[in-house]
Amino acid sequence: MSADSTAKTTPPPVVQVRDMDFCYGASPALFGINLKVKYRRVTALIGPSGCGKSTLLRCINRMNDRVPSARVTKGEVLVKGKNIHDADVDLTQLRKQVGMVFQKSNPFPKSIYENVAYGLRIHGEKNKSVLDEAVERSLRQSALWDELKDRLNANALALSGGQQQRLCIARAIATLPDVLLMDEPCSALDPIATLKIEELMHRLAQEYTIVIVTHNMQQAVRVSDYTAFLHLGKLVEFAPTAEFFTNPLEKLTESYLRGTFS
Amino acid sequence: MNQPATANPFAGMKSRDALRETIVRWLLRLGTFFIVAVTVAILAHIMVKGAPVAFRSTWPFVNVQFLTELPSTLHVIEDVKGGRIEVEVNRADQVKAQLGDAFHSETTISYSGGGILGPIVGTALLVTVSISIALFLGVACAIYLSEYARHGNPLIEWVRLAILNLAGVPSVVFGLFGLGAFVLTAPVFVDVPADRSVFAIPLGFTTLSFEGWDTCVLSGGFTLAFVILPVIITASEQCLQAVPQGFRETSMALGATRWQTIRYSVLPFATPGILTSSILGIARAAGETAPIMFTAALAFKDKLPWQKDLPPLPADASIFAHWEQSVSRFLGIFTESVQALPYHIYTLAAKIPQNEYSERAQYGSVFVFLVLVASLAASSVLLRKRLRAKYRW
Repeated sequence: MSADSTAKTTPPPVVQVRDMDFCYGASPALFGINLKVKYRRVTALIGPSGCGKSTLLRCINRMNDRVPSARVTKGEVLVKGKNIHDADVDLTQLRKQVGMVFQKSNPFPKSIYENVAYGLRIHGEKNKSVLDEAVERSLRQSALWDELKDRLNANALALSGGQQQRLCIARAIATLPDVLLMDEPCSALDPIATLKIEELMHRLAQEYTIVIVTHNMQQAVRVSDYTAFLHLGKLVEFAPTAEFFTNPLEKLTESYLRGTFS
Repeated sequence: MNQPATANPFAGMKSRDALRETIVRWLLRLGTFFIVAVTVAILAHIMVKGAPVAFRSTWPFVNVQFLTELPSTLHVIEDVKGGRIEVEVNRADQVKAQLGDAFHSETTISYSGGGILGPIVGTALLVTVSISIALFLGVACAIYLSEYARHGNPLIEWVRLAILNLAGVPSVVFGLFGLGAFVLTAPVFVDVPADRSVFAIPLGFTTLSFEGWDTCVLSGGFTLAFVILPVIITASEQCLQAVPQGFRETSMALGATRWQTIRYSVLPFATPGILTSSILGIARAAGETAPIMFTAALAFKDKLPWQKDLPPLPADASIFAHWEQSVSRFLGIFTESVQALPYHIYTLAAKIPQNEYSERAQYGSVFVFLVLVASLAASSVLLRKRLRAKYRW
């Protein structure tokens, strides 16, 4: 895999999955996954439905812990060099530093301000000026500030679908995470809203490390620097996006890209 | 083209199906109307008979005496011409003396004079205590079942079975349970344990004695709380489950603990529904008679729960002494037995000889009772509406 060729000149991977097996109860979902997510790059996870790409994404902030009987059975997941399954890892701190945006935009039925401030509030931030500042920064970074600065107290549910999803991104980056996980963030949006989110991701990649799950290959081409292809719980190929799409090494990848998938 | 224009290509085929359709529709419709008719009949009957007792045609339009006085024995004095005078016991002799030779006869009707303030206050206290306890326990239980308990845990299935069974227990059994558990054995702090104490734990400065709380608001409130607990648990759990899972996921993904998630992203959105279930709880608690018969209610009491004969404080008593007495007077409310509306209605209807005067008191009480429950329900509905507007999703 050629993704490692420049490893010596760039910062160490922010997220590193090493030889990981993952099971839901008795049924295995992921086998021997190895993945290195580069610092401040966008990494796309693609693959057919049920291939385990969302499961892999949710391994990175341990959201799978919510599912009883789901667990990593082999290998390890390192975030910022630390095995996140170590006993001394505090889940709330992990998730503060590994933000997540979901497929369905799900702002809380609270004001725009309260949505963005939620993460900071639960981590104990009470200082109004700090909150104000974080809300403004997050909304600016998610390209919402100009649209919404005059109605921060409006209910977030009054926003359009695309705005809601960008608000969710603002909410996720308000705690200044190192990694931003995005689980098919555009699958419920129209093309124009999708375009806005994609533009946003380009800008966010300057400050955050992004891992995005998408079932849209064109989107992976447009937004990502690296692409990983999963099939039936196995990571088939992982390469810089340009190489991945122009010159796939694996036959399986090639047939998936051509759409002649069996 | 050649067919006559009158031929109907969509003519119905079987008249039997059509007939069956009509019969079924009318059966269902009649069943529904019958329920409405019964409800209207009950309400109309009580309105017609009860409203004249509670209202007056002249200012202030409500029967002030009926709503602000304690129940008392009614004396009806008849003179020789057949005229009747209704008086309370204190004035009976005076009226008789005035009538002199014109006095013909005197009838006394228990509980039917005065008003029903005692029962109103008692029911309000019982409902307040029971709904507070039931909401606390019920919501706690619902949160545990909905948010913390894992599916498929056999213990949780037992808990659910227990809740279902609790809902099926006859109310008189709750009454007896309350008598045994709260009236006779609940723990209290005393200096010297009573003879009836089940067992006592000396704590040095005081003794924790399991000798019961006696018949009082607290015993009745706890008993009623268990009667309405299943309703509140079940409804609250449904309301919690109705909050989208996405709220929980998002909150957890932002690093919130489970309790923070519940506190800020689940509970606020379930509250309107939980309040609705508490309306049902309030109406049920206010109406139950059997659970309070042994635990809190008296057929007759000539004092309100806070009208207690406490020793007068010395003139130079400190502010602290006054404060202490106020607190003990307030807490004393909950250790008094009370009259309650449903039990008062039962007494009027079943425990005294029936005549036009007792009937009047009866219908008046039922009417006021219904109005109180209805207005409680209405205010909860309003509260829920306001919360919904704030926390809709």
